[in-house]
Amino acid sequence: MASILKVDGLRVAYGSYLALKGVSVTVGEGEIVAIVGANGAGKSTLLETVAGVLKLEGGVIEFKGEDIHRLAPHRRRKRGLILIPQEENLFPAMSVIENLQLGALLSNKESARNACERVYRILPKLDDRRRQTAGTLSGGEQRMLAVGMGIAANVGLLMIDELSLGLAPKVVSSLMGVLRTLRDETGISILLSEPSIKALDVADRVYGLEAGEIRFAEKADELDRDVIKKLYLGV
Amino acid sequence: MNMNMVLQSLISGVFIGGILALPVMGVALIYGVTGILNYSIAVIGTFGVFVSWTLVGHGLLVAVLGGIAVSFGLGFGLQQFIFNPLIERKGNDLTLFFIVTFGVATIVAGFTKVVFARPTISFQLPGTKFLTLEGVPINSQRLLAVCIAIGFLVLIWIFQKTTRTGRSLRATSQNLRMAKLVGVNVFLVYAVVSGIGVFLAFVGAFFWGALYNVTVSTGWDLTFYGYIIAIVGGIGNVWGGMLAAIVMGEVIAFAGNTVGGSWQSVVVYAVLFLILVVAPRGLLGSERSI
Repeated sequence: MASILKVDGLRVAYGSYLALKGVSVTVGEGEIVAIVGANGAGKSTLLETVAGVLKLEGGVIEFKGEDIHRLAPHRRRKRGLILIPQEENLFPAMSVIENLQLGALLSNKESARNACERVYRILPKLDDRRRQTAGTLSGGEQRMLAVGMGIAANVGLLMIDELSLGLAPKVVSSLMGVLRTLRDETGISILLSEPSIKALDVADRVYGLEAGEIRFAEKADELDRDVIKKLYLGV
Repeated sequence: MNMNMVLQSLISGVFIGGILALPVMGVALIYGVTGILNYSIAVIGTFGVFVSWTLVGHGLLVAVLGGIAVSFGLGFGLQQFIFNPLIERKGNDLTLFFIVTFGVATIVAGFTKVVFARPTISFQLPGTKFLTLEGVPINSQRLLAVCIAIGFLVLIWIFQKTTRTGRSLRATSQNLRMAKLVGVNVFLVYAVVSGIGVFLAFVGAFFWGALYNVTVSTGWDLTFYGYIIAIVGGIGNVWGGMLAAIVMGEVIAFAGNTVGGSWQSVVVYAVLFLILVVAPRGLLGSERSI
């Protein structure tokens, strides 16, 4: 399977503290990959560095075969990848439809309209709330809208940081199902970071991250969930 | 104070407020999107007015377009090549940008003095008429200034509500990180907004030149008034700035027609102080909003 994203030997520091110590991850075309690990493992750091929000100390980030580590975030978005962060991932004073239109900012008018319609089809609750201001939605609806922005972006690689944060298990399962449907319908590649094993329900492959280092990389259906829970998720 | 004087003060206040509203909107727009207080916009706008004055011999249209081009260009260029690299390295540090933009204003003011031989200029706009409202004479240029100020406010509102670029501006002011992630070139947005802000200050200074005289210190006067009024309106809030400008225009007009002289300034700043005691975040709040 061809790789859409290849991260090799990534090192990222906060001051003198090395948060990622030579992390290597790949995401294949049309693949769903999950990064699991406890809080502080470096999952958000990894995704934010790939998106261009953080600078790297060393290593390589290749997207569709191109080295993107010098590109600003908006240029990486132009290349076809988008990150939905775990917090502050909406434009709170703008309506649902305006948020989705921003997700599809780089598309032409017709593609943006089609992208928004696809989001309403996959996430019908957002259709009911089109004109509502994003900041007044419930926590679950806001997370749904953030995922919707990622879907509207119509990219090659969608990265989502802690999809399950603050959500009821039922809602998390529903959103995970949406991602699988999206991948099956469009062939999009998805990179998730998750502190819960829910990610294993939808992922094709899983990386375990602990203290800034990759501990394992396996196919999801070959992993022992209890071992993961005990060793890496602090359960 | 008789009814005629009250009416005269009311109308005069609207006109003063309308002219002051333009640099105030520039300040509010720039702060609302970039998070920095740019103390140079009115001085650069005044430089643009001096450029316009030197081009008057080629016709008013050429003079105005020349001033607009210089003002917008300087605002855009300074943001793109000086302020943006600083923001990237240091964030929108208020103290740093006070020093830097104040320094830029000082340089531009000095340059204006050196380049333009004549220290005081004024414009005579064609077609000036005197209309009357309830027996009170109204200068048509002042009316035009107010209409233009309101017109720009409406245009800015329509622009940011209905266009893709306007949506990018609002996104940048609300959530900078997410704006970058969805593909907004935020530094280009900053540069465009700064150009627009200086353009608004130019228009304000231009009408000041049409109604009064313009000197190099006009830029400093408009800077001073612009920031005070922007704070009273709610710094970063374009609508608040417009409202505050009209309120302050009324206070200036009434104070001028009642106490007059040195007491006028005392009354004006006393009212400002009272407004901020009652509404410390400004008349419409200081959320960065456009």
